[in-house]
Amino acid sequence: MNSGKVKISAWRRFVMFWVHNLQQALGSLGELTRNPWASMMTIAVLGLSLTLPSTLYVVVKNSQAATVGLSDAAEISLYLRKDLKQHDVETFAKRIELRNDVEQVQIIMRDAGLRDFRESSGFGSALDYLDENPLPDVLVVLPQADFKSVERAQGLLAQLQQEREVSSASLDLQWLERLQALVRFVEDVLGALAVLLCAAVVLIVGNTIRLMILNRRDEIIVMKLVGATDAYIQRPFLYTGFWYGIIGGVVAWIATAILVFWIARAVSGVTVLYDSSFQLSGLNFTELMILWLVAVVLGLIGSFIAVRRHVAAIEPR
Amino acid sequence: MIHFEQVSKTYPGGFQALKQVSFRLEQSEMAFLTGHSGAGKTTLLRLISLMERASIGRVAINGHDLRKVGRKQVPYLRRDIGMIFQDHRLLIDKTIFDNVALPLYIEGYTQGEARKRVQAALDKVGLAGKERHYPMMLSGGEQQRVGIARAIVNKPPLLLADEPTGNLDPKLSMEIMRLFESFNDVGVAVLIATHDLGLIARMKYRTLTLKNGQMINDGLAHHSEQLDGAVL
Repeated sequence: MNSGKVKISAWRRFVMFWVHNLQQALGSLGELTRNPWASMMTIAVLGLSLTLPSTLYVVVKNSQAATVGLSDAAEISLYLRKDLKQHDVETFAKRIELRNDVEQVQIIMRDAGLRDFRESSGFGSALDYLDENPLPDVLVVLPQADFKSVERAQGLLAQLQQEREVSSASLDLQWLERLQALVRFVEDVLGALAVLLCAAVVLIVGNTIRLMILNRRDEIIVMKLVGATDAYIQRPFLYTGFWYGIIGGVVAWIATAILVFWIARAVSGVTVLYDSSFQLSGLNFTELMILWLVAVVLGLIGSFIAVRRHVAAIEPR
Repeated sequence: MIHFEQVSKTYPGGFQALKQVSFRLEQSEMAFLTGHSGAGKTTLLRLISLMERASIGRVAINGHDLRKVGRKQVPYLRRDIGMIFQDHRLLIDKTIFDNVALPLYIEGYTQGEARKRVQAALDKVGLAGKERHYPMMLSGGEQQRVGIARAIVNKPPLLLADEPTGNLDPKLSMEIMRLFESFNDVGVAVLIATHDLGLIARMKYRTLTLKNGQMINDGLAHHSEQLDGAVL
């Protein structure tokens, strides 16, 4: 009875499976051009939705790069007891300098400090009313390179505070901690925003694919009647999601590049005023690839959700 | 090839479309299925093609007990059944070639490999040379023959036809029936649902008659001496 059927070997089946996949992939690429508006809108939404998180990522990355240099500038100021003689101060400074976590110690004697203050603060005449110099001798301690991080420097600060000669000490890091907290906050916002936008992308792709499936309802019914498996029917739609991701990812690259270029101009306007040579760096190759991968994965997830729900639901009646 | 054993089908809502239907269609046998609208013809065909499941009883196709066929295996079972519909169910945006080749593509043939089979099937139904046409460019009778070519292109052992001549004039209907006969001659089992009693009378094949969901006659439509051992 089945004499007419060609027996197909497993290897042949395997090869043909891939040949068909390629055909279906190219077929669904052609399908995108059949209703270009719907495809373009979905691709644009996918690409532009990814542009916002990727641009914010560039901003965060650059602000981290900027603050890394700043955190190294940690200096510890030791305010010494006022009853110390100049000789004691120098001895103490030498002792501190011998510590292996200290790079360099600079002494600012109280008279020099008063002089500086008088010159730079503009309160010079007010100081004349004071009977005695209110300033203590100050040691400015520069930690060794390994001890410049916020935590290490704070540890060193705590140790130096224990010294008999020190009345108080400060590590001027609060502004840095605030900046870092701000960066962390932006990072968190970025993460939440990215999750929301990715969810939106999945839903939008899913909805577009759902409409495509419903549009081809009759065709799907006929295919099911002549023995097509769900997997066979689903594949073109999954490839459509894949192409959405591929093209949407490129849209995201271009849009991010334009936005970064725009921001870079604004940033350079600021850095010129600060006499700094800070350069905004865009996405590198790895990051571009990750962005592309994210776009493709989102496209696939969106189409997978639509396909799972709707292809199975269409049954010949 | 088809084996119904005390099959009943009740639709959700309580309508009983088939009541304890039993019959057997052997390999390379040809039969008509007839009865008034609503007698259960369509339901019976739908049970065979797994569009519906029997409520009670056992349906076996080609040796497979359909109660044991899961959702995943349905497509593979359908590949053994060539189905022909009154409304052809052709894809209007695909060429005749692609319409007929669809079952082959699904089974994993490439276009080149499918070509020979499609040519042979179109030759068989008398539509050679129309491969590049679209369904809308053909007459009703030609469209139906495309549907038949699609049903036979992967050489299934069983053909099911639901009112295949419903929209055709008597001369065309007869041509279509001769076509089914020629498939039956090479060993394909054929079951044709129709209410065209005149046609059935001229063809002299076994006829299964349904009335209100029950099988009231199994044999030749007018002289029922050839009962074929099937259970009534």
